[in-house]
Amino acid sequence: MNPMLWGVGTSDYGLQPGTRVEVLCWTAIREAVDDAGITPAEIDAIIVGSVFGPPGVATRVQRGLGLPGVPMWTVENACASGTSAYHEAVQAVRQGRFGCVLVLGVDQMSTLFSGAIVPEATDPEGAASLPLPGLYALQAQRYVQEFGVTPEQLAAVAVKNKRNGLDNPRAQLRKAAPTVEEVLASRMIAEPLTFLQCCPTSDGAGAVIVGGERGNPADLRIEASAMVSGALWDHRSQDVWGYASVARAAEQAYAQAGRTPGEIDVLEVHDAFTIGEILTLEALGLAPRGKGAELAPSGHTARDGAQPVNPSGGLLSRGHPLGGTGTAQIAEIACQLRGRAGDRQVARHRVGLVETMGGGAAGMDGNACVVTILSVP
Amino acid sequence: MATELGVGRPTKRRPGAAVGGLPVADSRPSLVDGQVGGVRCTTCRYPVAQTGIPWCPACYGPVEPARFAATGAAWSSTVVQIPVGTRRPPFGLAYLDLDDGPRVLVHLAEPTVLPLGARLRITGLDDGDLTAVTIEKGVEK
Ligand SMILES: [Zn+2]
Repeated sequence: MNPMLWGVGTSDYGLQPGTRVEVLCWTAIREAVDDAGITPAEIDAIIVGSVFGPPGVATRVQRGLGLPGVPMWTVENACASGTSAYHEAVQAVRQGRFGCVLVLGVDQMSTLFSGAIVPEATDPEGAASLPLPGLYALQAQRYVQEFGVTPEQLAAVAVKNKRNGLDNPRAQLRKAAPTVEEVLASRMIAEPLTFLQCCPTSDGAGAVIVGGERGNPADLRIEASAMVSGALWDHRSQDVWGYASVARAAEQAYAQAGRTPGEIDVLEVHDAFTIGEILTLEALGLAPRGKGAELAPSGHTARDGAQPVNPSGGLLSRGHPLGGTGTAQIAEIACQLRGRAGDRQVARHRVGLVETMGGGAAGMDGNACVVTILSVP
Repeated sequence: MATELGVGRPTKRRPGAAVGGLPVADSRPSLVDGQVGGVRCTTCRYPVAQTGIPWCPACYGPVEPARFAATGAAWSSTVVQIPVGTRRPPFGLAYLDLDDGPRVLVHLAEPTVLPLGARLRITGLDDGDLTAVTIEKGVEK
């Protein structure tokens, strides 16, 4: 069966420690089921993507759904957990294993960490106190020094995405968008990344319903979905950390869809840190190596640009509840492709791309990366 | 503090003894007689600063214990300005490509962003973390 996206739904994204994690999920699921125009009984499998759970979160969510006994499992692929769950649903539908799959991505970070994520002590670099912003800073520092990228070019990504996020009623940060100067003047987290270049940790859930073709004009075609695990980050390689994992997934996704980077109208990509968006867009083929930093300042990736990137505000605005991020990215692209994004709507919206990249395991070029391409049938 | 949501709670993540969790087995590279411990592939010579791996992750060949030079070139570096574990800011970190060896994460004795390729020497362990100094004109700083 050709996999189609039937419906999407999300909770609000933000610090919501007083809200039960199940309620975040139920809010997203109810919206997705309504959006897909199905009854809950039509769901014949559930795949959950979550990093920090809590353990058993899928079953606890099941409690409110009344779908006893349907196949259900939880996947963890760091920040790409939600899109990894989605990828499994797409593959299952493609292979005819299920006819309608509920995908749920969720994490509630505010009840786990009071600031940056505490590094994993079992990891060689986590044990050596390398925080995630530190890893991205090492990546950024290499890239900046190698290609002569300016602090202003990095900051332009944050300005663009935080400005976009002002029009996203479900984003965590939507009070005011900073200027380039304000981004650079915010406190340093790990050189060269300042506070406003780091996404806030967040709480949120996103749900996606994937099924086969059913002749519904609102359904979106899933042209491609590629999921790759991390590979050895070989010190003999010239690639900065993370680049190769995104490039591997992108290559597979473009091949499946039979498309080139220039055919993509709108993108949601993993901008956990400003450098992340820049390197991801290079790996996705929107710019040659070392030129990705020019895309935001030139306006190419602005909401009214040639190829808008992160019209939702991205992780930099929406916040980053690890497992809840990928499904929110898919929800935004679905909204854009259907022309329902309101003030955030981009002009050309026939083909959209979502990329989520998870990382943090020492010595690997990423934990996993998912790239999916959707289009209006 | 304990009543504040999200503060001081045990989490699914293992934070380690340094920040109040239970101790975990140390996975950081070792320093033995001034050299970094690890394994090397007997087929393709790929170096890894880890022990206990089942085969060479580059070619699947057998690996044997190895010691690596404590000197190398900085691939990248940063200065972290937030507290992490027992570390208080500012502290410097670098990925160091050891001479004929693997890439390892080191703490910098002096927190500063280094030029790409800056020569470094690992001088010891600080609370179990590899610590390096820059080598300038043969003089360690
Ligand atoms: Zn080998």
